[in-house]
Amino acid sequence: MNAILESHGITKDFSGIRALNGVDINVGEGERVGLIGPNGAGKTTFFNCLLGILTPDAGTVQFRGNDISNLRVHKRARAGIGRTFQRIELFSDTSVREHLLIAERVHNGSGAFWKDLLGMGRPTAVEIERCDDVLELLGLRELGDEPIEALSLGQGRLVEVGRALMTEPRLLLLDEPSSGLDREETAALAATLREVQAEKGFAILLVEHDVELVSKFTERLYVLDFGSLIAQGPTAETLSDPAVRRAYLGTLEVDSEVGSD
Amino acid sequence: MILASFGEDLIRAILQGTPPGTVYALIGLGFVLTYKTSGVFNLAFGAQAYISAAMFFKARQDWEWGIVPALILSVFVLAPAIGLILERLIFRNLRTASAVSKLVIAIGLSVALPALFEIVADYKPVAGRSPTGIVPNGSSVFYDPLGVYPFSRDELAQIAVAVLGMLLLGAIFRFTAAGLAMRAVVESPRMTELAGIPADRISALAWAISSMFAGMAGVLIAPRLPTLISTDFFTLVIVAMAAAALGRLVSLPRALIGGLGLGWFIAIFRTFLPRWSDDYTWLEPFEDNLAPSLPFVVLFGVLVFWPAIRRSIDATDPLSGVDPPPPALASSTRHPLLTMQTRAFGVAFFLLVGWLAFFRADGRWVFLLTQAVILSIIYLSITVITGFAGQISLCQGAFAAIGGFTVFQMADRYDMSVLLAALIGAFIAALVGALLSLPVLRLGGVWLAIATLAFAFFFDAVMVQASWVGGGGTALLSGTEVPRPVLGPIDFGASDRTFLALAIVVFIIVAIGVIQLREGTIGRTLRALRGSEVAAESIGISPARARIIAFAVSAFIAGLGGALLSMQQKNVNYSTNFSPVAALFWLVLVVSLSARTVEGAGQAGFAFALFGPLILEGSLLEWLPFLNEDNLPSFFPISAKWRFVLFGLTAIQFARHPEGMLEFGKRRATHKRNERYYARDAARAAAAELAQ
Repeated sequence: MNAILESHGITKDFSGIRALNGVDINVGEGERVGLIGPNGAGKTTFFNCLLGILTPDAGTVQFRGNDISNLRVHKRARAGIGRTFQRIELFSDTSVREHLLIAERVHNGSGAFWKDLLGMGRPTAVEIERCDDVLELLGLRELGDEPIEALSLGQGRLVEVGRALMTEPRLLLLDEPSSGLDREETAALAATLREVQAEKGFAILLVEHDVELVSKFTERLYVLDFGSLIAQGPTAETLSDPAVRRAYLGTLEVDSEVGSD
Repeated sequence: MILASFGEDLIRAILQGTPPGTVYALIGLGFVLTYKTSGVFNLAFGAQAYISAAMFFKARQDWEWGIVPALILSVFVLAPAIGLILERLIFRNLRTASAVSKLVIAIGLSVALPALFEIVADYKPVAGRSPTGIVPNGSSVFYDPLGVYPFSRDELAQIAVAVLGMLLLGAIFRFTAAGLAMRAVVESPRMTELAGIPADRISALAWAISSMFAGMAGVLIAPRLPTLISTDFFTLVIVAMAAAALGRLVSLPRALIGGLGLGWFIAIFRTFLPRWSDDYTWLEPFEDNLAPSLPFVVLFGVLVFWPAIRRSIDATDPLSGVDPPPPALASSTRHPLLTMQTRAFGVAFFLLVGWLAFFRADGRWVFLLTQAVILSIIYLSITVITGFAGQISLCQGAFAAIGGFTVFQMADRYDMSVLLAALIGAFIAALVGALLSLPVLRLGGVWLAIATLAFAFFFDAVMVQASWVGGGGTALLSGTEVPRPVLGPIDFGASDRTFLALAIVVFIIVAIGVIQLREGTIGRTLRALRGSEVAAESIGISPARARIIAFAVSAFIAGLGGALLSMQQKNVNYSTNFSPVAALFWLVLVVSLSARTVEGAGQAGFAFALFGPLILEGSLLEWLPFLNEDNLPSFFPISAKWRFVLFGLTAIQFARHPEGMLEFGKRRATHKRNERYYARDAARAAAAELAQ
């Protein structure tokens, strides 16, 4: 399988404390990969290094064979990396459909300024149709005109997914999508994501600490602890690795049911 | 020999810079203190300093009080009282508001407070009556301990009092529990409250102390000024911010050093620049103008070139996510019937005003109406940058002035067509706006506002004086004349009414452009950025590009409006129309009415030009059938200063209703009517169903 995303030796220090220590991962085309680790393991730092929000002290990020280490955040997004947020980030005062329209316009639009002035900046029928297709796919069709303030957290997260999808990403980074959701909502989100992924065929990198979601959703897993990878491999195998259980679940003896906090 | 004199000059400059330096340090400390304990970037600091200085002056000169009682009243009673009132009535309730909205409120206060004081205390600055210091014969008795620089008594008093104040503050921090708690409050007020620290009392104490410092600094600095005018004190706050920024806004000792260093730097610069310019003649034009603008240059430089400050920007409140998002615009939720009614009313209203303006009004009212329309154009620039892009820009006056000065220069030198010159001016303003936005882009909310303010003052102090901008020399005094345009057969100078028509046409064109932008890609992009910058970036929006465009468009509109205003008055009238302090009032006005809509800009323009004559001078009443000029109630005309007080104070509601007063009222009214109409619709639908 071709790797779509590869990180090599990502290292990051925060005033002398090593948050990441030479992290190498790769995500294959169309693959679902998880990255887990206890709180403070460096998941978010690593995530931000991949996206360009933080600059790593050492290491490179390659996306579809190109080195994107020096690209700014929005350039990486344009290169084909979509994302969602742990603490939901939507545009206030904007309807659900408009979220998608903005993304669609950024992705496909051109010559904005003069077109705007001449009144050609309003959404076209084609754009609206494309947005509605994605809304349909996510089961949000009925909510298209709703202001985002009226949505539940789970729906809000789906809007984030939809917004990312409009940019036709080849890789979707999900930052703790289960946070704030209960078990049922998480399961529903996972089901929707799986469906959408099957249709669109992009790869997913899931950063999570909900083990249940990770175990059901991902094919392969990386485990991070104290800034270093301590295990990797197929999800089921990796989760049963004693080192992982020790680091992630503490020294408690626990069965596989536990972990969905 | 040369070296010896160099050393002596350096020492002299440092000694000379010490008295103002200690005062700057004092005010810098006060500024950091308020910021640290209540997160308020207190731009009203200068206003507070002014009030104490004016109170002291009034007590000494008009009431002939002794120095000590006057000092007690102005610095130890009035100053902390104002601080406590502001804290209790305003900022305590806004602890969780965003830094930007607190800044807007502070700007409102800096407009309102001096005017309010002048009304209440019946104080008027009189030219030629120079302020005196806190020691007798302060400016005429000198001491020269080192044989290099003679200190006046005033200067020694400045040093002594400022040092005493700092020692007092140091003692409070070191030896009291309140001092320790003060340091905790700013991190997260909500968190601190959850931890059981009485944040209210702490921030009240901090406000009292810092306001006293402001008042003290005002009284100490006053003898350096020829006349006590509130705008001069506004620059004090810039100095304080420069000192505070040197201390990265978090460190009191560094703010102290920053203030002192600033005093020294300015004195050294003033000592040595004239010599360099003997050798390098190209420095000469800068010599006179650059020195007074040094605080602005330092502030701008620190903000832009010192990366550390960007990292210390806006300690994010971990609980800020619980704040509700801003509400949707009233017009976006309107029932179709209500939309029709609103439009019909609008058309009728404008037809009536238009009929009055073109067929009934006399010269004075035509002039005021034209001014209202042109200001509305300028205010549309604030709609773009503040309403759409969510950035507070305090240099719109400079952009407008660029338009005005371009018309003046082009007409004066090249006899160019004025309308063409206005367009060129607008493009130059757009270019300056875009260039300015480049270095300040990475600064967030409050810092961007401060950097633009520093630029406005820099423009005011340096650029306007240059001959290729403001005409140089006596032009600013004798007038920067601007002709009215001529277009084919129409001479807009011949009749004020035709010029009004031109202004209206330009306003309509600009307003349509602004609406198109709002509905188009740019507007959506800006809305996304304002909603969530990280999310906007995650779909590929470049914040830098969007903001450069917003700045350029905004500066273009301001430049165009400024050019028109100069044409209307047939003069640029820089200091009345476009000075940085005048432009602060613009922002206050637009933001307190409605920054997000085109109507808001129009209403603000009319409020600026017509509120005074209509309401304060009582003209509106005069038009009533039973009243005329002679039997108006005796309290007319009301002082024009009330305009500043009223709109300055309405800016306070920005924290709760950032959409503005009018938009808020409109939303409430719309909501009610909407409910009624939708209920009626529902009832009809139900009835129709029954009928079937």
